[in-house]
Amino acid sequence: MKNRSKLSQHQQQGEQQSAAENAQQQSREFATAEELLRFEAQQTEVPPQIAERLKQSISALAPPPRRAWWRNLLGR
Amino acid sequence: MNDPAQGPELMERQPAGWPSEEIGALYEQHSRAIYYLALRFLADPQKAEDATHDVFLKAFRKLDQFRREASVRTWLYRIAINHCQNLQQSWHNRHVTANSDDLIWEHTASRTDSPLRALETKELGQRIQKTLDRLSDEYRLLLLLVADEELSYEQIAALVGQSTDAVRGKLHRARKTFALLFEQTA
Repeated sequence: MKNRSKLSQHQQQGEQQSAAENAQQQSREFATAEELLRFEAQQTEVPPQIAERLKQSISALAPPPRRAWWRNLLGR
Repeated sequence: MNDPAQGPELMERQPAGWPSEEIGALYEQHSRAIYYLALRFLADPQKAEDATHDVFLKAFRKLDQFRREASVRTWLYRIAINHCQNLQQSWHNRHVTANSDDLIWEHTASRTDSPLRALETKELGQRIQKTLDRLSDEYRLLLLLVADEELSYEQIAALVGQSTDAVRGKLHRARKTFALLFEQTA
């Protein structure tokens, strides 16, 4: 019974905390446009597929042209 | 505003899985900023993905041209802004002009002093995009750049090719216009 009441109390606390978080989230205010944009930028996740595509694109790029052996030899 | 990240610091980091450690480090440190700029400037997640990919690919190709004394962030922004503006010009999908921003502001200046309230985080992105879509390209870009704490006003001025004073003045009006339009999206 004691455990149950403890659990109930714990759940209640959790619910209160969650409600407080929701209220805080719902009533969020920003003084300026950039503050708002900054907040959103921080929440924005970069899609992981971009990195994968980029790695493939870079790997597929042709290596830079090598100097001809005779130019190295002649120093030209 | 913080001092922008400099090139040599970036090169100390060695992210795994990248064919080039330099571009890997650049990407890890700056991809969020570049993606967010592209996302909100182009108003399309798919186009923003493509743009972010293309910007970093261009950066990789031009790494040898990067002057170390400049900020890496500023350099990447320059590539990103040029890229996004070129895309926009080819799509012809912007019709709002700077004059319309000014008109809105002049008629309703007194209503823009209250804080920006966001009731639901889920809807925040949609409201921000709707608001930015109604701004001129110039105001939108200025607000997106000033939102990045790593950029100074001087760097923003250099990126948009205007004086610092002009940027400050335009930002003032851009903020007011944004606040008004944002309120209208509620």
